[in-house]
Amino acid sequence: MFEGFRTELDEHHDRRERIIKASRDITAASKKIIFTLQRVRALGQPVPPFATKGNAHYWEIIEERYKSIAADVQGLNAYRYSTNITGGNQEFMEALSFQHYLETQTLVSYEEAKSRIATMSGEGGAVLLTPEDYILGIFDMVGELMRFSITAMATNGKLPAGKPKKAVKAESDDGDKMDVDEQTPVPGRNEEPRTVLSDLRELRLQLEMLEPSGGRFGSDVRKKADVMRECVDKVEKALYSLTVRGSERPKGWVPDIREERRAEVESY
Amino acid sequence: MAGQAGMIDPTIFEGLQTKIDEDTAVRDELKDIIQALEKSNRNISFVLSRAHSTTVADLPNVLKAVEEPIRNVIETVSKLSHTASKQPYYKFNQMWARQVQDAAFGVLLWAWLGGRDYNGEEAKCGRLLTIEELGEVLKVPVNLKDKDEFHLTIEEYLLALTMLVEELTRLARNAVTLGDYERPLLINQFVKDVFAGFQILNLKNDILRRKSDGLKYRVKDVEDVVYDLSLRNLLPKKSEQ
Repeated sequence: MFEGFRTELDEHHDRRERIIKASRDITAASKKIIFTLQRVRALGQPVPPFATKGNAHYWEIIEERYKSIAADVQGLNAYRYSTNITGGNQEFMEALSFQHYLETQTLVSYEEAKSRIATMSGEGGAVLLTPEDYILGIFDMVGELMRFSITAMATNGKLPAGKPKKAVKAESDDGDKMDVDEQTPVPGRNEEPRTVLSDLRELRLQLEMLEPSGGRFGSDVRKKADVMRECVDKVEKALYSLTVRGSERPKGWVPDIREERRAEVESY
Repeated sequence: MAGQAGMIDPTIFEGLQTKIDEDTAVRDELKDIIQALEKSNRNISFVLSRAHSTTVADLPNVLKAVEEPIRNVIETVSKLSHTASKQPYYKFNQMWARQVQDAAFGVLLWAWLGGRDYNGEEAKCGRLLTIEELGEVLKVPVNLKDKDEFHLTIEEYLLALTMLVEELTRLARNAVTLGDYERPLLINQFVKDVFAGFQILNLKNDILRRKSDGLKYRVKDVEDVVYDLSLRNLLPKKSEQ
């Protein structure tokens, strides 16, 4: 009897370890992708070649890792090991949604992300991406947006914004998003395109409205929500000092902020 | 995506919220059943704890008394099984793992005391249910692999087994107090067998490992009892400890 148990427990442990390892690799590769993406300065257009080229390798790693464990997490086992893969999934979501945002200035949807992973998993069947993974990944993405906008402010002296195509937008805008848009606080530069900050606020609004269920997911969300709020705050503060101090100076003069903000970015 | 207003397509978060709410509803439903199971489990252990102060001759009374709570547990478990099978098994597994273990332990102890094969005469102790037999009693499948439904996992079975060993260690001493010098020997052999079984397993650093590490102390406890008995020549004659 116990021999049978041994075989099964061994299989279970092996599978678990394979998955944990894959999850770690995916995390590492995703982090590197994010680093590269942080060097991008423009919004709403395909990422520059240097980023695409540099990251291709890492996307490959991720794809290969997903493929390698796809067979291990089918059917019954999908949820059995979901706690082991969640780290990788979240980090992957962070990278995916960040790149998606940089390119399109929109949030990638859960279904899109899910099908993306499904494609990468190959014929063996999809690796499960739970809504929880998705949401937690999006929380982390807020942090990346914060870094992105602060670096952009420090180098260019203004908040990154998308290309103006407001005409289309205004029509289909619904109530609460109008509010968000109205607050767009770029004094003296209150033009059409959405800025990263208004997007951040919108994201914050949505994430705060989310009502998590209990358990571990609930506490994870609370923790990440705090960090997320801080991130939005940081951008708002940075923009404030850019506005206040920037107006006293000739255009393009921003050394003060650069120093201060750099430090904060690193400490994050 | 095209023609979408702001950064976020509002349906994204609506859809997610719906999913979360659905999960919460399932969780609540399961919680009620699990609480009921916990209560039935307590009833079993309440009745079975009388075994510690009951001689083998009187054991049938205890076994009779425990039949009712056992039936309750079986009923609750099948209710749980029914509800849980609608969901991916491992998604909510950790919610009931503990209670199912307790239920499994209750049945194991009951069977060990002779409850399962009780034929109206003397109770015969020392029977260990296999995981398959345990599944039969609880009327749930065991160790499913190809179907994503409720079942008893081998981890749950093994953990229940460690609980059984602890309980029997206690019983070994109490049996002596009751003047029963035979059962400690039986328990000694049984505990050793279980321990040997666990030794075969390759355990990783998890709860099962910690529990099975505790087994060796139980083995020692029972051995001490047997030693005390043999020292005083109290063992039944065939003893060769």
